[in-house]
Amino acid sequence: MAIIDVHHHFVPAAYKDALTAAGDACPPPGFQAPLRQWSAARSLEDMEKGGTASAMLSITTPGIHLGDDRAARKLARACNEAGARLVADHKNRFGLFAALSLPDIDGALAEIAYALDNLKADGIGLYTNYRAKWLGHEDFAPILAELDARKAVVFVHPTSVDCCSGLQPEYNDATIEYGTDTTRTIGSLVFSGAASRYRNIRWIFCHGGGTMPYLIERFLTQAKRMDHPELLPDGVLHELHRFHYDIAQVAHPAPMSCLKRVVPTSQIVFGTDYPYGIGSLGHAKGLHACEFTDSEFTAIERGNALRLLPRFAG
Amino acid sequence: MAPAPHIIDVHHHFVPPAYKAAVQPKRRFQPCMEAWTVQGSVEDMDKAGVATALVSITLPGLHFGSNEESRRLTRICNDYAMEMARNYPGRFGLFAALPWPDVEGSLAELAYALDTLKADGIGLYTSYDTKWLGHADFAPLFEELNRRKAVVYTHPVCAPCCQGLVPEINESIIEYGTDTTRTISSLLFTGSAARYPNIKWIFSHAGGTMPFLIERLVNLAKAPPFAAKLPNGLMHELQRFYYDTAQASNPSSLGCLRTIVPTSQIMFGTDYPFRLSIEHVEGLAGCGFSAGDLKAVHRDNALRLLPKWSR
Repeated sequence: MAIIDVHHHFVPAAYKDALTAAGDACPPPGFQAPLRQWSAARSLEDMEKGGTASAMLSITTPGIHLGDDRAARKLARACNEAGARLVADHKNRFGLFAALSLPDIDGALAEIAYALDNLKADGIGLYTNYRAKWLGHEDFAPILAELDARKAVVFVHPTSVDCCSGLQPEYNDATIEYGTDTTRTIGSLVFSGAASRYRNIRWIFCHGGGTMPYLIERFLTQAKRMDHPELLPDGVLHELHRFHYDIAQVAHPAPMSCLKRVVPTSQIVFGTDYPYGIGSLGHAKGLHACEFTDSEFTAIERGNALRLLPRFAG
Repeated sequence: MAPAPHIIDVHHHFVPPAYKAAVQPKRRFQPCMEAWTVQGSVEDMDKAGVATALVSITLPGLHFGSNEESRRLTRICNDYAMEMARNYPGRFGLFAALPWPDVEGSLAELAYALDTLKADGIGLYTSYDTKWLGHADFAPLFEELNRRKAVVYTHPVCAPCCQGLVPEINESIIEYGTDTTRTISSLLFTGSAARYPNIKWIFSHAGGTMPFLIERLVNLAKAPPFAAKLPNGLMHELQRFYYDTAQASNPSSLGCLRTIVPTSQIMFGTDYPFRLSIEHVEGLAGCGFSAGDLKAVHRDNALRLLPKWSR
């Protein structure tokens, strides 16, 4: 077993209780069956199937801020401590991308320090937007400055945004809106100048970058039309080429052929979105149906993630 | 020397002066739209070897609250395109505008455009006030278009939900492509795509972002309620739609699209005046098409839908 899965969700009891209590008030997609049924044993079982050595645990959408800052701080702490226990109890099988109480900035700053210093978390998990503010928004500058100072690995997971939730009654937001929101936050980081200002942050974006790679020509057009090109001194591709992109829900020849033409293969990392999607085996099979060399498969499954997370080399 | 004109552009915008004058008090036109002239269109086409452009109205659209005004604006636009076609023989065809969501007015204009003006097809937007094309409201329109086996060209808008979200980014960058994906998905999963099999759909910008999200659509289509809406399968519908190359004439996007649909479904489009025809000719030349496939994308695929331009 060699694979490192950077996109693997866990559901600590505190999170389960909070989502259950939020009930219908919980933003879509809410507390769905795969989350309700989650256990560490099921995670490990799925990891065995596809050959995953280590999975980085994160809290999926709707996230831990369900309306109240104090409750969110408490819940972030409980989730992170539960994650740290899983990491300790299953040597090298789990890592942790810690949850924050954003958009509560002060609580989030405190939790970054606690998670990285005390719990030795492997990185921080953010969402693509908080209350319709994407990550390049100036509100998040203190958070990004702190993560930059710490050269943190930052895993960015999509979430619904009120404007674009439930637009089409036939299907949920995951189908189109999640990928779009990842693209929005990449665009926000790049074109606001945050990407080049906080260059020590090691970003991982989900789902092959949402839809950014397919819209690359548009991104290049936007770069040419910036009012303040000095915000992007090395150009849009320089920033896009240093971000990382996981393969969750895009382990398919069409999106992979696109992504690998936009960024070097060194930036592509294995991810599953467990307990959603087709699991570790489905992703491993899907990846191997794409056009990569053997050494590229090895890099995507393990080597590229190890550069970010060297402690899993052992 | 300019190349011999042979290309057919299915995505080319025009701005009739009377339409502009009527709309300008209430809506802003982008500078390149403001400056549009028919001579400018012809010059752009000549530089790139475009023989014929199928023209359509883009933003700010045709309906600002009043059905009566919308009918009048629509008629101005459709008649103006025919005047362009008369003044420049062989150079312009028309995807006719409709005053949607005015149902009666749209059915009347559709008949006028296709029967009297002999328009090449109908131009629709991907959504109208957050109703995407699979919505039940469109049934009477699609019944008629299906009966006529019409070509339906769709152009994205930035839906009201999604305006001004990320201030640093123009809405065309992310939101347009997304709205095309929403409408493709809406047509698929409401069953409209299968229900109106004779409509020949053309989607802008290489299908928006649909090709990159294909695995999401494939997985959704496996759910029994959706499988029932797609009796011939998801890929059958996606592979009969057509996709233009506007703003996506690069190897990343078209390489992805070609993994999903045959080259026969890909048509040259430019989005003029937002982008130039020559940029698309040059972009396509770097996409790895064989000479035969490139000719198909430039011309032959469009001719199968619009044989009258073969002369």
